[in-house]
Amino acid sequence: MSQSIGTKNQLTYLSVPAVVFTLALIAFPFAYTVWLSLHEFTFGGASTLNYGKNYVLMLEDAEFWNGLKITLILYVLSLALQLVLGTYVAILLHGSKKLSGIVRTLMISPFVLPPVVVGMMWLVVLDPSIGAANFILTSLGLPRSDWLASPQWVIPTVAFVDTWQWTPYVALIVLGGLQSLPPNVYEAAQIDGASRAKTFWRITLPLLMPTIVTAAILRSVDLLRFFDIIYITTQGGPGNASNTLNIYGFRKGFEFFEIGYASALMVTLSAIVLGAVVILTQARKRVAW
Amino acid sequence: MDEKWVRRLNSLQIAIVAFLILAPIAWMVLASFKPSAEVTAYPPKLFFAPTLDNYVQLFAKTPFAHYTWNSAVITVGSTLIGIVLGVPASFAVSWTRITWPATVTLLARMAPGTLFLLPWYVMFREVGLIGSYTALIVTHAVITMPIVIWVLLPYFDNIPRSVLESAQVDGCSVPRILWRIALPLVMPGLTVAAILSFVFSWNYFLFALVLSNGDTKTLIAASFNFIGEGAQNWGALMAAATLIAVPPLVLAFFVQRRLVSGLAMGAVKG
Repeated sequence: MSQSIGTKNQLTYLSVPAVVFTLALIAFPFAYTVWLSLHEFTFGGASTLNYGKNYVLMLEDAEFWNGLKITLILYVLSLALQLVLGTYVAILLHGSKKLSGIVRTLMISPFVLPPVVVGMMWLVVLDPSIGAANFILTSLGLPRSDWLASPQWVIPTVAFVDTWQWTPYVALIVLGGLQSLPPNVYEAAQIDGASRAKTFWRITLPLLMPTIVTAAILRSVDLLRFFDIIYITTQGGPGNASNTLNIYGFRKGFEFFEIGYASALMVTLSAIVLGAVVILTQARKRVAW
Repeated sequence: MDEKWVRRLNSLQIAIVAFLILAPIAWMVLASFKPSAEVTAYPPKLFFAPTLDNYVQLFAKTPFAHYTWNSAVITVGSTLIGIVLGVPASFAVSWTRITWPATVTLLARMAPGTLFLLPWYVMFREVGLIGSYTALIVTHAVITMPIVIWVLLPYFDNIPRSVLESAQVDGCSVPRILWRIALPLVMPGLTVAAILSFVFSWNYFLFALVLSNGDTKTLIAASFNFIGEGAQNWGALMAAATLIAVPPLVLAFFVQRRLVSGLAMGAVKG
């Protein structure tokens, strides 16, 4: 008995450094941001408690609502595209054992590329005057677009770039799910003479739902706090057309140094991310089998 | 007959997907080898006399080598800290089933980076660490340590308990069991964890944007500045992008099978 207590102590000591690090650099800063969001903060000066004034300001701030709207539109658009296309690609790969090895390797590239590289790459391809995208469109007789420079098109364009980068990731997750489906279900369906389409909608998709929802959770976390690609390509512009909550909070904090207000924005955004994760985790329980 | 056509159509669609993934990357690499006049040529040119001018310019006109050094120091430093802190923690979580230390690290995966950056900025400013390697290495370890913990957990879980317990009966201390018995058994996992940490620390953009100065800027943060200045010099910009992309691409290919589950932090089984 005494030995097991000794073991327990030793194991506790092993995680102490990581726990201290986590508390100091993750948990404490998290709590500190909540504290900051309730204060009027000035560097070097005294911070004064302002009883939720930052949050009241936020609710009265048209730019906050604009940011929230953009964040949600970008989220829904990108997530839908990535889940549908990712499932589609996964099914393609699952059906073709021969090609999938090489293509798998290739599919890893987009999501391990640094976001800065992805941003630069698409800036060149989507450049309104010299980019290959407009060249291909005009060659096909289609109208050209200003893409990232157009207030109207910037969000769909950013969603497209993110979809390019992350659909392969979703596809590989869903492929993993496909490969672990019980084969006997398919045999039964085949014996019953179910059509290809029917097998997909009635058997494959429902069985895949837990995996797809898992992919949705992982993507939601990144999409709701969308930052890198937008900051690199448009910095929230043109005008405020791509000013997501995360971009807005960052600029309030580090361009205008309104630390308290920026903290309120970030606490709100974190609550939104957490809310989405909780809802989707519940949804995953419901589709589990 | 029907089966055959289905398969062919399937292969055709896969080929299209592969092309869509590859085309923009190939375009970037091609552009980096174009003579400067032809990078901005319209209609874009697919055939040209390749040149290394853009790469030469990149190193001659910008401190590209210095930024590469910064990135290397910060990436390697944060990966090492991630491993030193994460390995024992992951081992302890796996053995004791007390999971909250691992769960708290997920905060870093869920909250926006800016949320941490605001208090860090205030804290590091207070102690005069803004622009230091220390601030960058430590904050990047916030990315790497959770990766190490979560990637290693299933590997530690796979070690039969009897192996650890019999070592214990033989009077082996816990740190010794970790070092001599468990660690050698999870080496494949440690490789994955180290590579993933390296890739994500190398790629990370936001922290260096605020916490570095002209001297400690990472390649990633520096290339963001190139974009502003680079409107006249697309070729050099593409050369920079190509070079920065090489380390993560090469490393990721070594662990491709484990990459997806590793990235999912325990949400997806490998």
